[in-house]
Amino acid sequence: MSKILEQLATAIIEGDIDNTPKLVQKALDEGLEPLSILNDGMVMGMNEVGRRFKAGEMFVPEVLMSAEAMQAGLKILRPLLVSSGAKLLGKVIMATVQGDLHDIGKNLVGMMCEGAGFEVIDLGFDVPAERIVQAVKEHKPDIVGLSALLTTTMRQMAYTIKALEEAGLRDKVKVMVGGAPVDAEFAKKIGADGYGSNAAAGAELAKKLVGAA
Amino acid sequence: MEVHKVNYEVNATPTLQILTEDEIEAIYFSSLRVLEETGVRCYNPEGVDILHAHGAHVEDKNLVKVPSWMVERARSTLPKKVTVVGMPDKDGKRKYRMDLVKNSAYWGTGSDTPYTIDPYTLKRRRSTYQDVKNLAIIAEALPNIDFFMSLGITQDTAVGTYDRWQYLAMLEGTNKPINITAVDVEGLRDQLEMAYIRLGGKEEWKKAPAFSLYIEPVSPLSHDPIVIGKLLFCCDNDIPFVYTPCPQAGATAPCTLAGVLVQALTESLFGIVLSQLRKPGAQVIIGGLLSQMDMQTTVMAYGSPEMALLSAAYTDITKWLMVPMYNTSGCSDAKMFDEQAAMEATLNTFIAGLIGGNMIHDVGYIESGLTSSPDMLVACDEIIGMVKRFLQGIPVTRETVPLETIDQVGPGGHYLGTDHTLRHFKTEFWKPVLMDRLDWDRWVKAGSKPMRERVHQRVLEILQAEREPLFDEKMYKELRRICELADERHKGEEMGIGIV
Ligand code: B12
Repeated sequence: MSKILEQLATAIIEGDIDNTPKLVQKALDEGLEPLSILNDGMVMGMNEVGRRFKAGEMFVPEVLMSAEAMQAGLKILRPLLVSSGAKLLGKVIMATVQGDLHDIGKNLVGMMCEGAGFEVIDLGFDVPAERIVQAVKEHKPDIVGLSALLTTTMRQMAYTIKALEEAGLRDKVKVMVGGAPVDAEFAKKIGADGYGSNAAAGAELAKKLVGAA
Repeated sequence: MEVHKVNYEVNATPTLQILTEDEIEAIYFSSLRVLEETGVRCYNPEGVDILHAHGAHVEDKNLVKVPSWMVERARSTLPKKVTVVGMPDKDGKRKYRMDLVKNSAYWGTGSDTPYTIDPYTLKRRRSTYQDVKNLAIIAEALPNIDFFMSLGITQDTAVGTYDRWQYLAMLEGTNKPINITAVDVEGLRDQLEMAYIRLGGKEEWKKAPAFSLYIEPVSPLSHDPIVIGKLLFCCDNDIPFVYTPCPQAGATAPCTLAGVLVQALTESLFGIVLSQLRKPGAQVIIGGLLSQMDMQTTVMAYGSPEMALLSAAYTDITKWLMVPMYNTSGCSDAKMFDEQAAMEATLNTFIAGLIGGNMIHDVGYIESGLTSSPDMLVACDEIIGMVKRFLQGIPVTRETVPLETIDQVGPGGHYLGTDHTLRHFKTEFWKPVLMDRLDWDRWVKAGSKPMRERVHQRVLEILQAEREPLFDEKMYKELRRICELADERHKGEEMGIGIV
């Protein structure tokens, strides 16, 4: 691994938002391929972050800084990757469903997905199915992530999936669901593509759903 | 009595204080500044209008900035005491009463857990109507539980109208005061109607409300339209309400505990101001579930020492403000009623008692508020018993310092047969129900049962005991009718994806 890629991995691990884009630029200037900068530098760093988080050596605020650093670097890389035809991880739309105000869990899942390299569009909380359908049309995401923390709003997830079906969009996106009262059984029952019990599991699931893990 | 001492101070109860008056004032004035300068979001237009009409500044449609004088004025009409009285027994008497006022402690359960531990299989599963009723029956039987919240969401009833069914299940199980939740204003109105029926008329409610409503601001610094709608309805209908946030240090609130206190107080003060504008004298209880997000698991911690510390510090603030406190204890992050659950519940119950109240909820919660446990509830009753004994302190009087008896018994005697012992042994010592103090042989003969088994046995005893229904079939049908009418109105929304 070249020195610059190592430095980049370290910057990601340290959540260095200022230095990461600078290092990405430097790597490009040195003539490295965008895809290699991403996979052999930044993703390496993020994998280490994931390992340390699981091992209890890193904590949520630090992981989120790393995710932000990742996004800061991707800002430069993304257009280059797109024009070179490289396959990116893709887009995730996150929303807490209608009637539900619990949003911190959804935010965490979104941030972890960003850390994994996804582009995340956050629709906020109390989001009606129609708005999600609209956003899917507009942003063409690969994944829709739905969060519900109430037994009373869980059914909104089913409404949303149905609305996507009715709009003819269901086969264009994967739907993942989560939130404290949701479980794998319920996810299956309403025809979601996957369930994650926590933010890290959510990011893993997202990768799996786009065939990247 | 002879006077031999002057300037003699008495400690009638043990005391605990986390914050000094100066610190409380620093937090209070910080909250006033946040309310006035940062402002809060209020997404209910009617609420915004009321505040605006009375002097608050409104920017960007719903960013409300409340000047300090409005808070001070609201405090002048805010009740210092809130009383909730339970439902009548067969003799017509409403015997359970909570006077929520400075330094009084009442314990009760928490509400709305998606899961419960089945009392017969000990497996975790989604909660049902019968579970809520069973848990209410257990709460009714426990001497140290003063109020009830639905330890479980009824998930075998219609989803969108669960609140009415849940209230009915609670009423079937207990006559103790209840802290309800409501889907929306309509759900609240239906439950109020049910309470009138159960009480035998609105007049009884006017004498004393039989339930309070649990509603919450959304941390950080936001107020939901439906929630504010419920708040206004409570003011208009003499329903006491709990307006308390669930801020998580480091996630939805500042990471420092003092920062959490400032934010939580700001959020509740907003509710106080709005309520007193709507109706001077509206009955508000503040406090909350103040804790942190665990930075490794992202779980909101219910059993942490910080949770207990924050609740205690906030109680200091509410005492200073003279507003009833909604405290938290008897809860844990453990997944079953185990050693962790017992350790966490003991700590937070002890602290909540020592600091002095007032309405202490969440007894019986495990898994960070996601599961209710009958065993935990019964065990906590015992913990509260111990804590209450501790709170009685040590009165130092002529009677409790028995110099004559000591002189009579003298060196080398014993106290077993003295009048003094006979007078006091029944009241001086707390009597355990579940704690084991047998000698080894007797313990073995009794089955060598660990605490967990004894607790569980008590749960089953309570559930299996013969009991009379709390009201007759006619009353049951009338109450049930309200639930059915609500189901009828909302039939179209169910979609047939019941959870259980
Ligand atoms: C904080 C909190 C609130 C706050 C939320 C503030 C905010 N900004 O989010 C406030 C005060 C607003 C609130 C309000 C209410 N709440 Co609340 N709340 C909680 C509490 C204590 C913690 C939730 C939380 O933030 N946890 C921490 C986060 C990080 O975890 P999380 O949300 O579970 O998310 C993680 C995973 O679930 C997963 N995940 C989440 N979403 C997704 C999505 C995908 C796609 C994936 C893969 C994964 C995933 O990853 C996340 C990160 O690891 C829970 C209890 C609990 N332990 O869950 C009750 C709880 C959820 N609330 C409950 C209730 C009853 C209410 C109220 C109805 C109370 C009332 N009477 O007013 C209102 C409802 C308001 C509304 N319409 O939504 C009940 C739920 C009952 C039910 N019907 O199911 C609970 C279980 C508590 C209880 N037992 O009473 N609440």
